[in-house]
Order: sequence, then C-alpha cells, then structure tokens
Amino acid sequence: MRPVTPRGFRDVLFEEAAERRVVTAAVSDVFMRYAYRFVETPAVEEYATLEAAVGATVSGAAFRLVDLDGSLLALRPEMTLPIARLAAARLGGSSGPQRLCYAADVYREHASLRGESRQFAQLGVELLAVNGPASDAEVVCVLVDALRATGLTEFTVGMGTVAVLRALIGAAASTPEWAASLMAAAHARNLVAFDALTAAPGVPSTVGSALRTVVRIAGGREAIAACRAAAGAVGCAGALDALEAAWDLLEAAGAADRVRVDFGILRSFDYYTGLIVEAYAPGLGLPLGGGGRYDDLLAAFGTPMPAAGFALSLERVTIALAAQGVEVPVRDIDALVGGDPAACARVCSRLRAGGWRVQASANRTADALVGEARDAGAVWWMAGEDAALTRVSDGAALALEPLSAPPALEASNEKGSVR
Amino acid sequence: MTDTRLRMAVPKGALFEGTVSLLVRAGVDVGALADPGRQLIVDTDEMRFIICKPTDIPAYVAYGAADVAVSGADVLAEAGLDVVELADLGFGQCRFVVAEREGSSEEVLRSYRRLGVIRVATKYPRVAEAHFASRGIQVELVKLHGNIELAPLVGLADQVVDITATGTTLRENGLSIVDEVMDSSARFIANPVSVRIDADRVTGLVERLRAAAAQGSKGVMQ
Repeated sequence: MRPVTPRGFRDVLFEEAAERRVVTAAVSDVFMRYAYRFVETPAVEEYATLEAAVGATVSGAAFRLVDLDGSLLALRPEMTLPIARLAAARLGGSSGPQRLCYAADVYREHASLRGESRQFAQLGVELLAVNGPASDAEVVCVLVDALRATGLTEFTVGMGTVAVLRALIGAAASTPEWAASLMAAAHARNLVAFDALTAAPGVPSTVGSALRTVVRIAGGREAIAACRAAAGAVGCAGALDALEAAWDLLEAAGAADRVRVDFGILRSFDYYTGLIVEAYAPGLGLPLGGGGRYDDLLAAFGTPMPAAGFALSLERVTIALAAQGVEVPVRDIDALVGGDPAACARVCSRLRAGGWRVQASANRTADALVGEARDAGAVWWMAGEDAALTRVSDGAALALEPLSAPPALEASNEKGSVR
Repeated sequence: MTDTRLRMAVPKGALFEGTVSLLVRAGVDVGALADPGRQLIVDTDEMRFIICKPTDIPAYVAYGAADVAVSGADVLAEAGLDVVELADLGFGQCRFVVAEREGSSEEVLRSYRRLGVIRVATKYPRVAEAHFASRGIQVELVKLHGNIELAPLVGLADQVVDITATGTTLRENGLSIVDEVMDSSARFIANPVSVRIDADRVTGLVERLRAAAAQGSKGVMQ
C-alpha cells in the first residue's frame, strides 16, 4: 500500500516546520514577557467535561473516541475548555490572578471536501481569577504584541463586547425563543434575519432600532460614544464604561493604534460574557485568531472565577506572513565538515560545542564538499585535516581557533519563506 | 496585496442580469460586466468582478477570494459556510417547496407507515435534511444534480425538495406542492474579515445597493 495521512491531517516538512518553530518561539517569548507561564494538557478530554461547559455546540466540532472502558472521549477542539478544566481541578485553592499560556494542537471534525484541516496549532493565553478593564486591556495588549512579534506588517485587532447585545435583548423583554433566534442570527452573521427579528411584533421599536444600529458601529474611541448614544439607556452603560477604561489603557500601552472597536463582532461560542476580540490580516479571509471574556464558564466546573484569553492560529499566521511577503528568519546549517572520519569527528565536536550547526560528511573530497555545502545551504565547509573553514560563497578562510560565533542568522537565511 | 480593488463575485445564470442591473442603478461602474463574453474576471477602476457558478459563490467569499458577492439565500443555506449576510436585494425570489406526484399522498403516507421513511430527491440535501428534521419526519435523501421533478415520476423518490419561482415546471410534470420549506431571494454577502477591515467600502456598497433595490421595487410591480 501507499500510506497517506487521514483527511484533514498532514505532515509538516523542513522549511515550513522551521518557520513554525520561529513564529512559535517569538510569540511564546511575548507571552512570557507578560509573565504568562506555559502549561500542557492532555490531547484527550472526557466528552462529558466539554459538554458540561458548552453544551450542544461542542458536538459538531469535537473529534470523538471510545476507549476500551467504554468512556466517550474527545480530542480537544480548542484550549480554553481544557485550561478551564485544569484551573477548576488544580488551581481552585490558589489566590490572585493566574496567567497561563500554551502552544498546542487542537482537533476539529469537519465534513469532507471543505478544504479545511482537522488539526490546528494554537498559541494562546488565559488570564484567570481577575476581571475588569485592566485585565481586558492586558489580554488585548498581549495579542497586539504577539502579532507584532510574528513580523506581520499589517494586522488589525477588533475589540467589542457581548454585553451590549445581551442588555438590548434583555430590554426587549420578548420571548426566550426570540432571544435565541436573534443570537443564532448574530452568530450566523445573518444581518438580514437579524434585522427582520428586531422588527418582530412585541419588540419595542426603540430597542429594535438600537439593535440594528449597534451591530454596525465601529471605529476608535468615538465608536464607544456612538454606542452609548444608541444603547446607553438600556443598562449597558457599565459595560461601555469598562470598554472605554480598557481603551484608555491600550492608548497608554501604545497598542491602541492596532485596535479597532467594533460592536459587530459576534463570535460563535456562546460562553463569552464581556470582551470579545478578533485579529485580522488583509488578504486572509479568515481571522488570525480571537477570544474574549468568559466569566461564567468555570462555574460549570464548580469553581466560579472570571477568565479571559485568546488563541492565535499558527497556520493562519504563517499564511498571512507569506501573503505579506514577510521573510521569517530561518537558520540553516552553518558548516559542512568532511575529511577522514576521526578528523571530521574532532572538528564537528569542536564546532558544535561552540554552538555551530554542523553536518558531518566524512570521506568527501574538497570538490564534493563545496557542492554538498551549497545544496545544504551551509555557509562554511571544511575538510577535517585542514586548519581553517572555507566560506562557500567566496572562498574566504576562517580559523578554527579561536572559534568565532556561528554565522549570523541573516547570512544563513538563503532559503527564507517567500512563496 | 497591491491590488486594492474591492473583489465582488457575481453569479452566472438566473441572478446575473438582476445583479448587473442593480449595480448600474446603484451607480457602480460595471465596465464590461454587462457583456463579458467569455471573460471570467472584469476589472474596473474600483472593482474586480469575478463571474462564477452560483453554487460556488459562498466558497469564494468564505475563503476570501472575493470580498463581497450576490448569492441566492437558497445557495447560502445549502452551503452552510461562514459568510456575513448583509442585505436582502429583493430580486430573484423563489421558494423551497416539498412536492410529490399529483394524487400520491395516500401512497406516500402508506409507505411511510410501513417503511418508516420517505425517500426524497433534491439538489439541496442540507436544506432538505434540516426541514424534515424540524418536522420530525424520517427521510432517505437522494442527491441529484438537476431535473429533480423527474424523480417521483419514475419511482426514484416519493417526494422532492426543490426551488420554484412560479410552480409551473412542477405543475407541468404532474407534481403538486405539499409543504413550504423557506423563501429565497438574492442576498448581498461579504467575507467576515473583509466586512471588518474594509468596513467603509463594504458598508458604502451595501447602502447604495439597498437604496437602489428599494427604489426598484417601488417602480416595478412584484
């Protein structure tokens, strides 16, 4: 047989793998600069755990398995739920804010032939046991800095709140079925159905027109004022004050130029209770990532605590980098060493101890070594018996002692990421 | 990303003329779009029009190959992809209906009682599945690609789910409508990211099209 990967799963080879590691490292470094600490969770969770937290929405997305004991399990469809489960099970007793981050693969079920993967790498943070404008602003700042660190030249973070929509739905005092239909239309991004529902009989016309107005408001600080004018009277003034306070902090942190307030962002997970964020890059038809505040989610696990976070899709970030022509500085091997096996081993060992990336090619002649070094993208080559390294590009010599630092990243970046 | 034209997917076929005429009435420069010949891409100063098969439109928009598009609500419902539905353009009205062979109701009911399942032929399996699920009726779906009305006549299916504007084709083939599934018309849709980061142009176009559509429906008797 000719083995293949299952539909929606794939192998990642050299250049792409190297690029993914560089981007992951850059983003991870930003997370750690904000004092977030890495955690790892199992790839598999009890299906009941996911269901308890988000109900039926999980069923379409989760990849399910049955183990030998007959337990129904699910591959994690995202990381927020496993982190919430981890926090509920293991951090319940701790006091004060918890800053957690992850770089992990998640799995989603899709129908065939949608051109979509079933495995994604996500990079994200969760800020637990604290809420308020400062923590909302912190999450947005981490997202902005993480995107800056990837090297993307153009990106926008959209920031909104579900509190306005929730308050307006409450003010309409209509039936639960109406409220559910309106939320469903909002999540499906169907503004035609949404507008029709806001004009349904029994919905006060002031509330209906406020609903139609707010989902179309976007901009900077003035958007918050516009939303207050349209909907402030229905009980979401507190949420808008909090949003404006967060905006102040984003300005103070120098992140506001990348952020756009947008009351039309409607993410399709039901568990958000306040802030919602989404990151976009021009030319990529899907968001780079997103998240928000989900203060009620941990209560489903018996440990009520506020929480907020986001996840970035590594695949989409790398697609956007390629689309914007950004080269990711991938480091190839530094030197290729030949010569008789013992001399080769001795030189290789010396270079590797100095931090060089070295490929051993014992018993090759000088001519063969030059060609091989060129093919491998190596900067230097050397036969083990020689006293010095030779530069592939121009034949310049470099003494082995004292050994200098490995060639700079730029020099070895002949095979960048331009596609 | 040097090309800054707004990319709009335009459906071939039944909705094509309505779309072009609405764009013209909204004051959009359509260039060669009115008579594109075999061209599939038509550029103007501000827009790039991409002419595609109606059922493919949601895919072009969802994956970001087009920023905006005109698409039938029927096609959107069947595709189930992530696009933003921004406005009902009013034209291209049709209905999703359930139909069966004239006078076969008794037969269909009897076979449902005995076999517990109705066989339904359709071009729209997702829409049909959701409809029968909401009615609590068990069905076996047969996906066909055209001439759906043939299926009950030759015994391929008991019923069909199909779209119809006037019901003429169904009637002429001896089928009668037994249930309504949903109403459809042309919708203006956008990619969920384009609508956020290119909001001014997308919203501007929506408003112009909406105004032109409203005016059109006043002038023409529906």
